[in-house]
Amino acid sequence: MKPGTIRTIAVALDCSPHSRASLEAAARIASMLSAELVGLFVEDINLLRMAGLPFAEEFRLYSSTTGKLDKEQLERLLRLQAREARELLQRTAEALTLRHTFRVMRGMVPEELMSAAEGADMLVLGRSGRSPSCRKRLGSTARTALLEGKRTVLLMRPGFSPAAGPLLVLFDGSEGSTRALDTAMAIAGPESTLHLIVVDPETGDGDRWEKEAAAMIEPSGIDAEYHHLPPVGGNELARYIRMIDSGLLVLSDHMKLPESTLRELVNDIDYPVLVVR
Amino acid sequence: MSAPVKLSPRQLFTRCDPAEFTFETTAELDGSTEIAGQQRAMEAIRFSMGIGHDGFNLFALGSSGTGKQSTVLHYLNHLVPDAPCPDDWCYVYNFDKPRHPRALRLPPGRACELGNDMEHLIDALLGVIPAAFSSEEYQSREKEIHESFQEQQGVAIEALEQNAREHDIALIRTPGGFAFAPIRKGEVIKPDEFMSLKEDEREKIEAEMIRLKDILQSIMAQIPKWQRESTEKLKELNRDVAGFALKPLIGELRMKYADLPELIRHIDAIENDIIGNFEQFLEKEPSAQELFMGSGPAKPGEKGRFFVRYRVNVMIDNSHTNGAPVVLEDKPATQNLIGDIEHTAQMGTLVTDFTLIKPGALHRANGGYLVLDARRLLLEPFAWEALKKAIRTRQIRIESLAQLYSLVSTVSLEPEPIPLQVKIILIGERRLYYLLSSYDPDFSELFKVAADFEDEMERNPENHLAYARLIGSMAVREKLLPFDRGAVARIIEHGSRLAGDATKLTTHLQGICDLAHEADYHAVQNGHEQITATDVQAGIDAQIRRSSRIQERIREAMMRDTLLIDTSSEKTGQINGLAVYSLGDRSFGRPSRITARVRMGKGEVIDIEREVEMGGPIHSKGVLILSGFLGARYAAERPLSLSATLVFEQSYSGVEGDSASSAELYALLSAISGLPIRQWFAVTGSVNQNGEVQAIGGVNEKIEGFFDLCQQRGLDGRHGVLIPVSNVTNLMLRDDIVKAVEEGKFSIWPVSRIDEGIEILTGVPAGEPDASGAWPEGSVNARIACRIEAMAKKLKAFVSDHDKDGQAMPC
Repeated sequence: MKPGTIRTIAVALDCSPHSRASLEAAARIASMLSAELVGLFVEDINLLRMAGLPFAEEFRLYSSTTGKLDKEQLERLLRLQAREARELLQRTAEALTLRHTFRVMRGMVPEELMSAAEGADMLVLGRSGRSPSCRKRLGSTARTALLEGKRTVLLMRPGFSPAAGPLLVLFDGSEGSTRALDTAMAIAGPESTLHLIVVDPETGDGDRWEKEAAAMIEPSGIDAEYHHLPPVGGNELARYIRMIDSGLLVLSDHMKLPESTLRELVNDIDYPVLVVR
Repeated sequence: MSAPVKLSPRQLFTRCDPAEFTFETTAELDGSTEIAGQQRAMEAIRFSMGIGHDGFNLFALGSSGTGKQSTVLHYLNHLVPDAPCPDDWCYVYNFDKPRHPRALRLPPGRACELGNDMEHLIDALLGVIPAAFSSEEYQSREKEIHESFQEQQGVAIEALEQNAREHDIALIRTPGGFAFAPIRKGEVIKPDEFMSLKEDEREKIEAEMIRLKDILQSIMAQIPKWQRESTEKLKELNRDVAGFALKPLIGELRMKYADLPELIRHIDAIENDIIGNFEQFLEKEPSAQELFMGSGPAKPGEKGRFFVRYRVNVMIDNSHTNGAPVVLEDKPATQNLIGDIEHTAQMGTLVTDFTLIKPGALHRANGGYLVLDARRLLLEPFAWEALKKAIRTRQIRIESLAQLYSLVSTVSLEPEPIPLQVKIILIGERRLYYLLSSYDPDFSELFKVAADFEDEMERNPENHLAYARLIGSMAVREKLLPFDRGAVARIIEHGSRLAGDATKLTTHLQGICDLAHEADYHAVQNGHEQITATDVQAGIDAQIRRSSRIQERIREAMMRDTLLIDTSSEKTGQINGLAVYSLGDRSFGRPSRITARVRMGKGEVIDIEREVEMGGPIHSKGVLILSGFLGARYAAERPLSLSATLVFEQSYSGVEGDSASSAELYALLSAISGLPIRQWFAVTGSVNQNGEVQAIGGVNEKIEGFFDLCQQRGLDGRHGVLIPVSNVTNLMLRDDIVKAVEEGKFSIWPVSRIDEGIEILTGVPAGEPDASGAWPEGSVNARIACRIEAMAKKLKAFVSDHDKDGQAMPC
């Protein structure tokens, strides 16, 4: 994939720590690829509907008390969040002199995001949004983006900087994994190290694939380290990746590896994941 | 009555014979100095320095320039090497009460060592602690604690979510918290749909939601507890990691200072504080605000304000002290005595910490001796009270004057007082000593010993040699040429002249030192390799010349007869008295004309000076004595029927002292007797009611003042001065006067009684009464008695004539 293929990067904003990390990552990648940044804010229709129910009550975190949910007040708060998200986008984009737009939509969050991201080449969102459980696993929106999305998706989590740190690419000689390697090279920073996990098939093509990958990486001058693994399940793969302790995991959903393995890996891994399509 | 004999040249000046010295120049002397002529003061110093009890501090009193300070320091410098060296003192941070820094006592030389050790500890910790906290083990453990909290929270909420979902209810995050809502096919049910549900369905949903809300509330109530537990775990981890990193370094310090339990307690406190504040040691980039405020490290390696608390402020370092310290504080201001707490400006605010505590002279002298100038001490505001308080309480408590008197209001400290064990030596004038004794009740309690320095010492061969040694050591110390023995002898003679006594030597060593410097200057100018008597004399002459402007102007006025002084004729009721003027450190004599006039009256002697309040009380007393003398001698049996007036002619500035009373009496006797007084004489001496002439001061200056005038007018052999016989031992006259006396051009007459003086002055015998009390015919006394009797008769006749006429007698 050549720089320029990704011209527009959509980023989901909801003012949560995950979405802030998403914005930062999107901005850095946009800066490297000279892409445009599109901020998306969805006013959750579920929230508004709930406020309309006669018994709607909110449990307030700041006071551990309950209070009546007022629809007008809720709308005002959502507008406030939207403004905050817009300002955050503006500040981040202007600091890197990026072209940027901001859109506010109302509806079911996953659907609205998917439809808004249709026009973009990449969607960046947090692994989980403002979910109640602060869960480690994927949030509903992220899951929808993975399962139903047609664009490249970056699932971010706080504490990582995908463009500056090391990158890890899952490579199995497939066309999808070649695209993943291509994308990883495009977004790698000057100091980044590229870890390549070659998933050796039983056919013994692992060495050939490593050579092919090396031929791709060499002209870019990026430091690369190669690891070979037999085909294993998603959990084992996640454990191995943790041992390498790399940063962003780059893979494709059109690989030779079983789809269930990939899904398990993405669900379990506690690193940001870029799924190239 | 035997007539007085004029003094021989030998009696006018007591020479010091250079031959009595065995050395050629002072370079042959060993350079040692000994304190001569101050035995009384030395005994007092020895006693005060030897006694260990409180309050036996010393006040060295005496005139300025008598070598009080040198004597005290000389004694102390011999005393201190054998005394024990006092301990070091330092201030450290008080972790319990930061406003009250702790004072630590350490054996000599160890305070600086401790200071360096603490600096090294901080440097080492800045490397060790960040390394410990950036280790992989720590990071993963920290992450685990965070994750565990998140997980605990997540599991509970997820279970609730699951529970809710089973009843078609969703837990939704709102901008301010959580809310429950019924769902259908993954979406929150619309309000109108909900309202169209059957009532029992609605009630069921609502009841379910109340149940879930209770569960949520109980979860939320537990979250702060989980958070506390997590924070506590993290703290414990941090304590363990910091403690482990710190242990070997602190262990070394504990071992090194194991003999100092007080310090070990401080090291324990440091250890606890470092563990509690480990994050300060973790490297981080200072924020712009920190840099601006100066609180962050300004450059790599420089530690911020926080680390100040682990430092040591060494107040007293005795690592290079030999024996007990001797401190001479030249500027005894309060802060210089008891120390001070300085402040630094930070963003326009004054801030301070224990490292800004500054030691004072009392700290430096603790365990030794502190020498202070009393006058300077008393001139400094609050210094005397501060010193007394320190001596009385036996501790040094540093208090900021500005804080104490509310002149400024800023953050300040109250350092722990340091115990004080010091001997104070005050040096000052006698007047100060007596004033303090009279007006300060504390003074006699705190300064029980007085070392009273003599102004003069006996003149004898031992003290001549002591003078020579003093001059020799001075020459070495001040890098002067060596003095030959002639020069030493001349300085000794001058020392005698300064004492105003041929049998004494001055102890005003400052004057002698100044003369030595001047003699050295003249010797160098004259190309001498050693200082000779000529150079010393040149120095003396130059001193006189420099200060003789007014003396010469007065003499010039006399030469022009602007000031009338007769030195050649004979006049009735007129005499040359002698006065001394003191200007700065020099004094000179000058003749003054005194006249007396008599008339019939009631026996009183009128002192015109007193009438116009230009005469001092002693002068007035002298004049009143004259009335007593006249009445007792000539009018014991009858009224004294005359009135006399006495005046210092051309006196414009007042008269004090009784040294002119004999001259006034001579003038009076001349006026009554009608016998003229020889004006080529001048007279000095006081007189009592029996007609005995008594000693006066400044005899040398008075004689020289009259001699100079006569010499300028031309000496003819008649000129001379009458002095009291008791002043003969004070004579140390100039060489030119001695020569004039030798050549018979000038004479000095010692007089013990008025009758002797009047004979010399009139050339007529005074006369002694016979058995019947009658005076010999033609004598001065007979003439006076006759005149008084005649006046009495005249007065009687005058009074009876007026009585007959019935007129009152005019007064």
